[in-house]
Amino acid sequence: MTSDSELLVPLHVAYIKSLGENKDDLVYHMTAHLRLNAIYWGLTALCIMNQKEALDREEMIGFVMSCWDDEAGGFGAHPDHDAHILATLSAIQILVIQDALDRIDIPRVVKFILSLQQPSGVFAGDSFGEVDTRFSYCAVNALSLLGKLSELDVEKTVAYIRSCKNFDGGFGACIGAESHAGQVFVCVAALAILDRLDEVDHETLAWWLAERQLPNGGLNGRPEKLEDVCYSFWVLSALSILQKLSWIDSDKLSSFILSAQDPDSGGIADRPGDMVDVFHTLFGVAALSLLGYPGLVDLDPVYCMPASVIEAKGLRKSWQALERRSK
Amino acid sequence: MHGVKRTRQSREAEEARKLKEQAKLKDYLLLTEDLLSRKKKKDWSKEAFDLATKLLHSNPEFYTIWNYRRNILINGIFPSSSVEEINSILSSDLSLTTSALKAHPKVYWIWNHRRWCLENVPPGPSSPTGEQTQGWRQKNWEREMYVVERMLDADARNFHAWNYRRYILSLFPTPPPPTQELKYTTHKIESNFSNFSAWHQRSKILPLIWEKEGKEREEEMRELEFDLVRNALYTDPNDQSAWLYHRWLIGPHPDPILLTREITSIQELLSEQPDSKWCMESLVHYTLLLISLTPETEREEMKSECRRLLAELAGVDPCRKNRYQEISERLGV
Ligand SMILES: [Zn+2]
Repeated sequence: MTSDSELLVPLHVAYIKSLGENKDDLVYHMTAHLRLNAIYWGLTALCIMNQKEALDREEMIGFVMSCWDDEAGGFGAHPDHDAHILATLSAIQILVIQDALDRIDIPRVVKFILSLQQPSGVFAGDSFGEVDTRFSYCAVNALSLLGKLSELDVEKTVAYIRSCKNFDGGFGACIGAESHAGQVFVCVAALAILDRLDEVDHETLAWWLAERQLPNGGLNGRPEKLEDVCYSFWVLSALSILQKLSWIDSDKLSSFILSAQDPDSGGIADRPGDMVDVFHTLFGVAALSLLGYPGLVDLDPVYCMPASVIEAKGLRKSWQALERRSK
Repeated sequence: MHGVKRTRQSREAEEARKLKEQAKLKDYLLLTEDLLSRKKKKDWSKEAFDLATKLLHSNPEFYTIWNYRRNILINGIFPSSSVEEINSILSSDLSLTTSALKAHPKVYWIWNHRRWCLENVPPGPSSPTGEQTQGWRQKNWEREMYVVERMLDADARNFHAWNYRRYILSLFPTPPPPTQELKYTTHKIESNFSNFSAWHQRSKILPLIWEKEGKEREEEMRELEFDLVRNALYTDPNDQSAWLYHRWLIGPHPDPILLTREITSIQELLSEQPDSKWCMESLVHYTLLLISLTPETEREEMKSECRRLLAELAGVDPCRKNRYQEISERLGV
């Protein structure tokens, strides 16, 4: 088989393992502000490829805890970086996957997250107040994983997401913003966690999502834009939550994702022939899992974590992926 | 990494690159370490501020340093500055982020810092009679409109820039009338019909105008919108942008006469472009809408027309054939 038809699991595992070994590389240090997110992306991709043990558990947990910002009560992306809701969600996701939530002071993290909710109901990323529906999703996801959703003002949270809904069924980053597949994912997944999918216009949104597929099989994030592997996940996760995955051509999408692999050094890029990164590697593998690619582990599209982890916590929602193929 | 081509380098070339990078890397790490330790010590000095400028220049995504920069301003620099000075410091930070944005138009943290600067611009100098003016704020807001327009000239779909544009408009000390914004979207659409971001903005602006100008004017303006969108549909019937906008214009609860008129108009376009997926897709959507407004006994003909179109769509647009089949099945045999 050629790289266009097969997922190169051993190469991708080796690629992810190599990411922590580039400390003499400028790019490694220039991306320190994404380190915790990158570890979550790498770990989740490994779990989906059934290679969770490829990264050392204790070392990983130790690193997560070294990113704790004691002044703010949340996690930064790297030791000595400021707490932010994006890094805080990544930290919680890693600790949940590694079954190590007992290491953190849950009431303090909950307090930090809740302190970021604005009067309008949206969440800010940190104390400086940039708002985005992405941050609402981070808050809802994190509180749910911590078992503390009961402390959230659900009505207020939902009201803001509702105000970001557009006529095309999609959602934007803030009130008035254009629909974007990434924002659709965060809004739909947040509503799924809150059991409020009645807020979504299922038929219109599933139509808009299905229209993201381009003739080459890839998916774009907005009308009349180019395809990109990361949208594969955002569009697919929203479609699986709406139980409409069959509305696009899954074979063509699988081929597109597989063609964006680096057949020599591993990893997946945004599109064929581009430089790979761990972000697109996760979202490529995650999308293939939802498409029933043989040999992969089930991914939960709502939390973007291994499905077994979410099921064990009793948090599974009624999404639907394609049946796993045997070959 | 988005849109960076993969290049295959020999091991020697790779080693040579890393070696060349060593000096740069060392400087970067030293500067990072220096700033993070100053931050821990709550060093709010001008020197730290200048070092932050340097680090952010090489890495504008270092959000912790943007935070530190703002804290230096709040705790160290503003308390000992006059309002005139604060205005000028923030103006120069706005200039700094303008050049950063030119190089990195999609970095959230830069847009974010811009918002913070703008929100902290003092209102304006006091007038000779001691009254508070809004001069500085107005001037800065006008400059922001200029900057965001240049950003949208460079990339007319940059959603950061569109979101920022809406943000400025919503907080303008004396905002321009919505009709001016409508004109801007017309200009953007006329230079490129497939700019959905501009059509989207139109769908947000028109209701504001209609609310103010009354039902009669709304009807007139709606007709002009149909002309504009029809022009776009005829120019390129495969472009989604105008079809989406057409759907907004029709809305979820249209008048049956208008709906019938538009269905007829799309049928004409389809007869000129017999393979047009979007003509067929829209005809199905609007006919289904019309069915819901029609008495039960008079629906069959329209239903069979939909089934015929759906079968054809499954052929011209096979990626989405399951959707067409599902809708067809729902219509019954
Ligand atoms: Zn991407």
